[in-house]
Amino acid sequence: MHIKKPYLLLGSVAIWILLGRLLHGKNTLQIDTYENTSFTRFIGEKALELRGNRTESPAFIYFFNPIRAVIDGFVQFIRNLIAVPAPNSVIPVIGWLGVVALIAFAVFATSALRTALLSVSLLLGCGVLGMWQFTMDSIAMTLAAVLLSLSIGIPLGIWAGLSDRVLKILTPFLDLAQILPTLVYMAPIALVFMIGAASATIATMIYAIPICIRITSHAIRNLNQSPVEASESMGSTRKQTLTKVQIPMAKQMIVLGINQTVMAAVSFVVVAALIGAPGLGKPVIEALIIRNVGQGFVAGFAVVFLAILMDRSTSAAAKRQESFIPPTQAQVKRKRITLIVSAVAAVTSVFLSRTMLWAAVWPKEITIAPQVEKVTNNATAWVLDNLYIFTVGFKDLISYSILNPLETQLSASPWYVTVAMIVALALIIAGLRTAILAFCLAMAIVLSGLWYEAMLTLTQTIVGCLLTMVIGIALGIWTGRSDRAEKTLRPFLDAGQTLPAFVYLVPMLGLFGPTRFTAIATGIVYAIPVVVKIVCEGIRAVPHSLVEAATAAGSTTRQIITKVQLPAAKKTILLATNQGLIYVLAVVVIGGFVGAGGLGYLVIVGNSKPELQGKGLIAGAAILLLGVIFDRIMQAGAKRSG
Amino acid sequence: MKSLFGRRSAVVTVVIAAALILSGCSKSVNDSAGGASGDCGSYAIAMHAWGGYTASATVVAEIAKKELGCTITQTTLDEGPTTYDAMEAGTIDVVIEDWGGGRWKEWVDRGAVVEAGENGNVGLIGMYVAPWMAAKYPDITDSKNLNKYADLFKTADSGGKGAWFEGPAGYTTIGEKMVSANKLNFKVIFSGSEAALVDGFTKAEANKTAFIGYAWQPWTLFAKIPNLESGHVHFPANDWTDPAKASGLTDYPSSPLIKLISKKLNDANDPFTSLVKNFKWTNDDQNGVAADLEGGMTAAEAAQKWIDAHADIVKSWLGK
Repeated sequence: MHIKKPYLLLGSVAIWILLGRLLHGKNTLQIDTYENTSFTRFIGEKALELRGNRTESPAFIYFFNPIRAVIDGFVQFIRNLIAVPAPNSVIPVIGWLGVVALIAFAVFATSALRTALLSVSLLLGCGVLGMWQFTMDSIAMTLAAVLLSLSIGIPLGIWAGLSDRVLKILTPFLDLAQILPTLVYMAPIALVFMIGAASATIATMIYAIPICIRITSHAIRNLNQSPVEASESMGSTRKQTLTKVQIPMAKQMIVLGINQTVMAAVSFVVVAALIGAPGLGKPVIEALIIRNVGQGFVAGFAVVFLAILMDRSTSAAAKRQESFIPPTQAQVKRKRITLIVSAVAAVTSVFLSRTMLWAAVWPKEITIAPQVEKVTNNATAWVLDNLYIFTVGFKDLISYSILNPLETQLSASPWYVTVAMIVALALIIAGLRTAILAFCLAMAIVLSGLWYEAMLTLTQTIVGCLLTMVIGIALGIWTGRSDRAEKTLRPFLDAGQTLPAFVYLVPMLGLFGPTRFTAIATGIVYAIPVVVKIVCEGIRAVPHSLVEAATAAGSTTRQIITKVQLPAAKKTILLATNQGLIYVLAVVVIGGFVGAGGLGYLVIVGNSKPELQGKGLIAGAAILLLGVIFDRIMQAGAKRSG
Repeated sequence: MKSLFGRRSAVVTVVIAAALILSGCSKSVNDSAGGASGDCGSYAIAMHAWGGYTASATVVAEIAKKELGCTITQTTLDEGPTTYDAMEAGTIDVVIEDWGGGRWKEWVDRGAVVEAGENGNVGLIGMYVAPWMAAKYPDITDSKNLNKYADLFKTADSGGKGAWFEGPAGYTTIGEKMVSANKLNFKVIFSGSEAALVDGFTKAEANKTAFIGYAWQPWTLFAKIPNLESGHVHFPANDWTDPAKASGLTDYPSSPLIKLISKKLNDANDPFTSLVKNFKWTNDDQNGVAADLEGGMTAAEAAQKWIDAHADIVKSWLGK
């Protein structure tokens, strides 16, 4: 007999709740925060040993330390060029005017005048916000990380594009890297490469390289195959086919990959400050420390400016369409002359920025930072004073109605009941293979000794994801159906995607107090833009004929949405949910800073208390395992529903 | 490269290269300025995540820059092991205030980190209720009576018990032990950061809501909520120094705060070394600077204000 999936799901949830009630409080595996299990103590001892060995062990002397030195040197070189004075100097090699002029020229030459003007105003904007040097530091760090990422990512991506075997070996790592919350791998990297620019660059690369590999291999794989076959049939060698046909044809897509790599690196700017990276992250984190919301936003705006600058300048280069009408002689000449003139202007500016102090060091008097700070502080204070009652009410409503019951169900049930439930869900939604994987990963969390904390984090992630999807799907439908809505929301979505979560962590704290909900709310704000964008795409991809047919049949708008567009976009919505879950998980764990507890808190506490270091490292691994379980179940579910 | 990016990129590359070569050869502001530093080298001070620390570190940094001509970098960094590692690696030279009660022992034993004496501040840790509660319920400040009031402290997050807000991640905390050893009907909530506790105490005092949380002195919050001390909940006198061996029945000990320096700075033995070794001030000094900082001054301004008002103390640190 075939039972429908929804009934199966409902049935297993009912059994789970019943068992949870019956066995309430048994085998919850809860241990006090200061206690280690024998496993976490073992890991902690190993980590301490590693620390002690850094000056003696050959692995460090011949491998890790040289890598650190080379990357440190590279970053320092770029920083000395544009950001900080080299030893015995008072200005960097190129002063602010020179940097502005060079970037303007580079953007102008590769794309268009408009983009160049935009770049200049964004750069000047960062300067006016009083963030010139931090911005230059961030550009230097980003540049270093991007160059290194591309030099590894593009060749690997091309290789994976050509060989199925390489792609198959790389895919699990690429998937894993996409799930990995940034907070998690900072500690292990800092353990090996120590605090500083090198660790930050390597952490950024781990985040950026997978994206570069994915897009590059995708570019090579999805080429129109006939020119490739033609080239092969004419007797080209593999190398000739690659360099003369495949790479030039895939160029546009590869440049898009570069754009995405740059954006990944930029989005890392703030987090990197946690392990000692110079740049805009520093003022953001400091603002969190002294609870100066305004200062956090000033630095946050500079991060957004930097992100827009990087995005527009690299994507404009990618989009630049070669016109089908060849330019006339006069046009070519004109373009050439403007290029030469602007090149001369750029070089002159560089020269000026080295010889004139006003062009070398950003003039401190030109700043609007205090004003911006004051306005945002006042605005936040107003919001906090007037909305606090509502936000606390809302927080309590969600806490009593969803958060507490779910947390009790997950954390106060015996571990074997919850593991069985997870496996059952995986079996129903995603099939046998995923169920086996889910079982193994869940058992790994149980054996690590951090099951209880994992359940706290899981609760917060699920609630955060639910709320994200409610808001995200609503906004996604709205933007998917109306171009105007899309246009209005777009800037907010873009800004939301680049504004670092740390910037709004403190305002959230003001709104909701030191609670789990602060973490959840921060996760929601972080995840909504990506969910809205994916849902919007999904709604737009529904064939017009379907919608038109429904309209012709006299359906109301509501009927069209619920009966036609949502069902047709089901797969995309499932994928959006998956992205939402992963995004919420990545940010919920930084809620450990504001009273949310769970695995994130253990990661944070492990960083500062040597005796809990092992526990912190394992907590990081457990976050990753949770992410993989979610991801696999949702991905397989989405595939099946397709 | 050329096939990938086309001719314009080549043009850009050439121009940028030309600009760089030009900047390499041309003379610059640097040449006329000459070396900025005196006989003091360049050092890095770790900047830890609390207002009082920022106050102490910025005062030292400003004196070193203005009086000694040192080049000082201030690197924001987690306290504890990550910082000791950085000191071992030579990227951090000074920790001006460490509460860690000897957690640096491994690094000191290896010779990577050197203890540079007490900084004059005395750390006092305890559990505090919002002061309005101490006024309304005078016996609440005796730990034996906490259970009587536990119901007041219930929140949506405390699972039917009172909410007990524990200190930030890296701090010495034994809340879980205190709650279980004294059989308190409270649930420990890990605030995670100073910001979370400041938020909790100020809102509770302003809105007259119940709050019990971890607090320490010196701390700027005591300047913002002047009668916070009246909310100190007293447990039996302390009988431990190592938190791992604490029973939880008794209160936190008071501890003198320690300065740590890197081996590099210790060996250099230059004016900056002696400035750091001589630096010593009171809790009131630190609270004053930190309060200015919280009031909206930049760290450098607040530090300078204190330095100008205490020229003689600064002189004694400089050994003049």
